[in-house]
Amino acid sequence: MSEAVQRWRIVFARNEEARYLAHLDAVTQWERAFRRGAIPVATTGGFNARPKLVFAAPLQLGMLAEHELADLFLAERLTAPALRERLTAGMPAGYRVIDLHDVWIGAPALAPQLVAADYRMTLLGVEREDLASAATRILSAERLPRERRRETKTVAYDLRPLIIELRVRDADAGTLAADGAPAEAAELWMRLRHSQERGSGRADEVVAALADELGMTTASETPGATETPSATETPGVDRPRIESAVSVRERLWLEEELTQHGERDQAPSSPEQTAG
Amino acid sequence: MTTALSRQRSPARTEAGPFNAPLPVPALTIRRLLSRVRKPGRYSGGEWNSVRKDWSETALKWCFTYPDLYEIGMSNLGLRILYEVLNERPNCLAERCFAPDVDLQAELRSAKVPLWSLETRRSLHDFDVLGLSLGYELVATNVLDMLDLAGIGLTTGERSEADPLVIAGGSIVLNPEPFADLTDAVVLGEGEDVVLEISEVLQSLGWHRRVCGRDGQSRRGVDRATTLRALARIPGVYVPSLYEPRYEADGTFAALDRLDEAAPPSVAGRIAADFETRVRGIRQIVPNIGIVFDRAQLEVMRGCTRGCRFCQAGMQSRPLRERAPEVAVAAAEAILRATGYEEVGLTSLSTADYTFVQEVASALHRRNPEVVISLPSTRVDAFTVELVDAIAPGGRRSGFTFAPEAGSQRLRDTINKGVSDEEIVRCAELAFSRGWSAVKLYFMIGLPGETAEDVLAIAGICRRVLEIGRRRHGGRAQVKANVSTFVPKPNTPFQWDGQDATDEIETKVSQLRKAFHGKGLVLSWHDPRSSLLEAALGRGDRRLTPVIVRAWRNGARLDAWDEHFKFDAWIQAFDEEGLDPAWYAQRDIPTGEHLPWEHLGAGVSGDFLLRDRRLALAGRTTADCHWGPCSNCGAPAVTGFDCDTGDQGPRRMLISGGGGTVGDEGGTGPSSRRWRYLGPPGDARRSDVAAAASIGAAAYCAGDNVNLDRAPRRGRSHDMLGTQMQSKDAGTNGLASPVEAAGGENSG
Repeated sequence: MSEAVQRWRIVFARNEEARYLAHLDAVTQWERAFRRGAIPVATTGGFNARPKLVFAAPLQLGMLAEHELADLFLAERLTAPALRERLTAGMPAGYRVIDLHDVWIGAPALAPQLVAADYRMTLLGVEREDLASAATRILSAERLPRERRRETKTVAYDLRPLIIELRVRDADAGTLAADGAPAEAAELWMRLRHSQERGSGRADEVVAALADELGMTTASETPGATETPSATETPGVDRPRIESAVSVRERLWLEEELTQHGERDQAPSSPEQTAG
Repeated sequence: MTTALSRQRSPARTEAGPFNAPLPVPALTIRRLLSRVRKPGRYSGGEWNSVRKDWSETALKWCFTYPDLYEIGMSNLGLRILYEVLNERPNCLAERCFAPDVDLQAELRSAKVPLWSLETRRSLHDFDVLGLSLGYELVATNVLDMLDLAGIGLTTGERSEADPLVIAGGSIVLNPEPFADLTDAVVLGEGEDVVLEISEVLQSLGWHRRVCGRDGQSRRGVDRATTLRALARIPGVYVPSLYEPRYEADGTFAALDRLDEAAPPSVAGRIAADFETRVRGIRQIVPNIGIVFDRAQLEVMRGCTRGCRFCQAGMQSRPLRERAPEVAVAAAEAILRATGYEEVGLTSLSTADYTFVQEVASALHRRNPEVVISLPSTRVDAFTVELVDAIAPGGRRSGFTFAPEAGSQRLRDTINKGVSDEEIVRCAELAFSRGWSAVKLYFMIGLPGETAEDVLAIAGICRRVLEIGRRRHGGRAQVKANVSTFVPKPNTPFQWDGQDATDEIETKVSQLRKAFHGKGLVLSWHDPRSSLLEAALGRGDRRLTPVIVRAWRNGARLDAWDEHFKFDAWIQAFDEEGLDPAWYAQRDIPTGEHLPWEHLGAGVSGDFLLRDRRLALAGRTTADCHWGPCSNCGAPAVTGFDCDTGDQGPRRMLISGGGGTVGDEGGTGPSSRRWRYLGPPGDARRSDVAAAASIGAAAYCAGDNVNLDRAPRRGRSHDMLGTQMQSKDAGTNGLASPVEAAGGENSG
């Protein structure tokens, strides 16, 4: 065990090359990256000493990210340029360090400060107008009862309070047309609540709710998220399918950040208004 | 999607660059397919140390085609080595492709998307050479799946001029005959040097060049037949299509006729040069998802001289070569730095037999205390327990593995694994006393000369071991016995012996199950039906290629995985071809009969196999030439390698710190960093080392020059008997080899 003398908050992005890392695999890869970069990471005590690294929120397998947060505790002080250089030297492909903040070592833990997350998804097989009207209906609903599968049991919950905002926009046609994807496409932007105590919204659940609203089914881009792999053939055989081609977690919001900036640049609005 | 596919297949005449530059499978296509399958990380590439070269600027393109799932294939050390060897060459690139699981197979077929390489995501069809790794008989149908998914002709006769060459290697290719019609060429032995020789020949012929013929068909700069004849001239390369088998009226193999003067009458396996002082495979790929052997691997020794009579890997990988300890330590650290791995495995067929295992392990442990060192393939002896105890972290002591292989002393002598019951018990006692609460024991049933008493002796020895564990750990003590079926392997002294009939095996298993009742005793066994197929394919001839193709058409795939294994599909395939798997697997072959693989050799001579078999029948053992006298196994003659084990006693390897020159024994001055030979297990000098390390003194470490003669003598003798697991392969023979040894590791 080595004691921490410095705490760095790493702001990072994850692109295509690392998208299929599940959270635990990502943790392992980061630990290896620290060894490759010879970063003096502080370790936890106990038989199986682990590097002290705390991710704000696990990133779902298949999801890209633009502004993720992790706290790294060092056993020796490093300057920001030195740390950045060593991180870059060992980081697995697909991860990019955006920013480093020297955080007071006694500052509150990262994860409980998290309040919201923004997501952007490119959905195939659905018209923008249809998606926008479904989004309006969902936002005006009082409750949105859904079920989430957790290992063996199914848990019923209300999705509505977890949705802070939904917007529908045109999909970026340029990137999709080249690959011969379905003609109908739309982009869904959402801000979902992310709270350790009050629950967190899942982007794929929102898409599934929208699909239900439209009498459609989903083929999630994040495998195993809402359906079993073979489910593409079985349950919604004759229902048209919404396929998510790109899903990105744009940003994680800490409580103080959201109260300072988040509300100001994202005035409450209905999805159609923003979309139109 | 169909447009994407047709773009893939058509020759890219208009592409820029000097070489053929077909388009990769589009990113969105891959993303959409992977959204529907389990563990998409298997197919996405982008791992640390994976190499993505510029396609249009690189001449010869290899794709290592591993016919099993990613988690198995990526564990293979041979693949890690050859990937680096080829990618180091500026005019070659090597990519990877693993067998897709059934879900992706179905998606690929329905979307008509070809199977892609992990690096540049091109169809396997776009490569010049597919390096096919054959490490296990039951991957046969996966080979067909992968070729089919890439639109490559399944058999050599069905391949077009544009199709890549399929070159196989790996630990089972000493009898490649059942795969003969699937492979354009076969590399025997170790692949490090020969892959470069093949690359040079192919480039000088122009195999990598693509031209479009007048008929609109894509061709290469040279035709297939010329290329294959040229490959046949490379030592260690066997081109099956240049030979034709003949059979006797009774169905037995008569002879193999040469169809071309380019085809040599016999082919011997290759031995890589400079194993002792040169390590390849430093920048090992670090997978993004967990794999079977998720650790850095350093091969410390190649070959094995224990001479277990069932062991194909041990026989075919001779002569024994050991890495200089300084080289091993430096390489292990280089691999750890390059990968960031938290664990390093010192691999070989029998790592406890590596002369410098103590030095290397304790040096690594001392210099990198946070790194876990694992020693697979351990012997049944006290030295091993002491060694593992000394380097294992305190917390993780789940199970200690030994492989006595047979239950009775008599049968262990027959298979040349002369370990005694007392030795097994003593080892178990030591392991239990050092904190391990479970002991795992590997056995085989159906060995030549086995009686009912021998089978029940397995339960007997397990009970004895459990009793010892109980005394120390009470109800927590556990003995796990893993029982597999004996599979006669080509190029072993037991190659002539038939396997037990499946129902006999089942009877023996059920007898064992009855004897294994009670708390703390766990018995697991291998499906005897898959052992039957292993033996049939292992001892098969060319008539089995159509059987493999039929079995695949009947729906057999991923046969090595219990949940996918379709025995009936295989039986039906044998039936349809009018063949009987039992004839291949269970027949005792007369020693005078010609064998389908007798023109191929590696490791030991045919004479030795016959001689050693006679000793087995007489219940006599053959000494390990690492410590004992030379048994004239013929390795130097077969391989052309100068073997310095033998009558002179144990191998002396003394490497100075300067540059790997071999010096005299002893004589280590305080300034010159020199390695001295420590003697075999059992040598007093050696036990002092074990004792020093195990009590934490760790005074003797690499480069420290502690004179052991001054260390206090404990005089404990470790005996030389040891263990060697069947089909356990350290992983570098030829293109690759199996990773079946998963259970046989001790990492503490």
